[in-house]
Amino acid sequence: MEFKDYYKILGVEETAELKDIKKAYRKLALKFHPDMNPDEGAEEKFKQVAEAYEVLKDDDKRAEYDEMKRYGSSSEQGFKAPPGWQPSGGGGAGNSGSSADFSDFFNSVFGGGRGQSRHAGQQHADFYKGQDLEMEVPIFLEESVSGITKNIEFMVPVFDGRQTQQTKKSLKVKIPAGVADGERIRLKGQGAPGQGAASSDKKLNGDLFLHVRLVPHPLFDVQGINLLLTVTLTPWEAALGIKLEVPTLHGKINLNIPPESRSGKKLRIKGKGLKNKTAQGDLLAIIKIDIPPVTSDESKKLWEQLAKVEKFNPREDWSN
Amino acid sequence: MTNITLHIPLNELCLSAHISQEAIIEVVEYGIVTPVEGDTLSDWIFDIESAHWIKKAIKLSQELQIDWVATAMVIELMRKKQQLEKENTQLKARLSRLL
Repeated sequence: MEFKDYYKILGVEETAELKDIKKAYRKLALKFHPDMNPDEGAEEKFKQVAEAYEVLKDDDKRAEYDEMKRYGSSSEQGFKAPPGWQPSGGGGAGNSGSSADFSDFFNSVFGGGRGQSRHAGQQHADFYKGQDLEMEVPIFLEESVSGITKNIEFMVPVFDGRQTQQTKKSLKVKIPAGVADGERIRLKGQGAPGQGAASSDKKLNGDLFLHVRLVPHPLFDVQGINLLLTVTLTPWEAALGIKLEVPTLHGKINLNIPPESRSGKKLRIKGKGLKNKTAQGDLLAIIKIDIPPVTSDESKKLWEQLAKVEKFNPREDWSN
Repeated sequence: MTNITLHIPLNELCLSAHISQEAIIEVVEYGIVTPVEGDTLSDWIFDIESAHWIKKAIKLSQELQIDWVATAMVIELMRKKQQLEKENTQLKARLSRLL
């Protein structure tokens, strides 16, 4: 077990007063909090800072830690607690997080298991609530329209009284139709198992939260409950209009492209978008015009002929 | 087949996330989230997205030791950032189809 020098982690003297410890913690918490700092390693650093603060802000824990630091010994095999040392059992969830986030060193000194948190407001409770888990679930657009039963596999941290083991778990989940990108779904009691007197009671297990992510579609983009489809036309199709067969999530349909359709024009196809609990979205076909490569003298002549006849100036506003 | 839940009542949220009712009241009072149902406190029901932000707000408030006004502002900015990042990704995808 590696010894943690909490004073060094917070950058304070061993004689530091509580207000200085608090000040140092705030500064480092703002710097390394994972919601503020996306850098690799920031989260780990924040956990160390939170653990150090959890101990040093509490007079009893600090005194216990100081004693451990003074009489313990370090060797190549790691840190050894003083002979006869017993964890105080003062660990568990504090204000700065749960003991699940703390190191083996913290748990061996102050007790508390990894993967669980002591139930709120019950400092002497005889059970621990299991940790909530969160995972992303990729869903295809077609699956979000129809709903789908998915097999999901995830790792659950299980504390055996001494250490935390990762156990693989699999579940069959019915993802409802109309689920949107970024939506969260709760699977009650499917998180890390709880511990204690009533550990067989599923209510003590943590929950599993699924974070739905829509997989980008090769043809359609999503805008709220509307779908966007880019329809590429030749210049003459755009100029003269054309009847086209276009794909939707519900099969192909015929679409009339009116004459003089300009690039970026949107054609609304009602009811062919996504659906949520309250509304049905539309499909928006967006016109894009592409020109063919000039591969023959004949087509080059035709373009030149058109250029002579047509007075259209797309850069008219530049002359003002 | 595992049952899914799209809503969570106040008492279950307190137990599930080991947070106090008082903290959730603060989060609601500062407009960070609104219950989807329930006129009285004991009837409050939240959607799972709101439950996520409640947990995030309480965690941030405790871990960064900031008051509720600052927490509400941070959460608002985080939501906006998330929304803008999503829009940015969508616009980039659309742009690549149009170019």
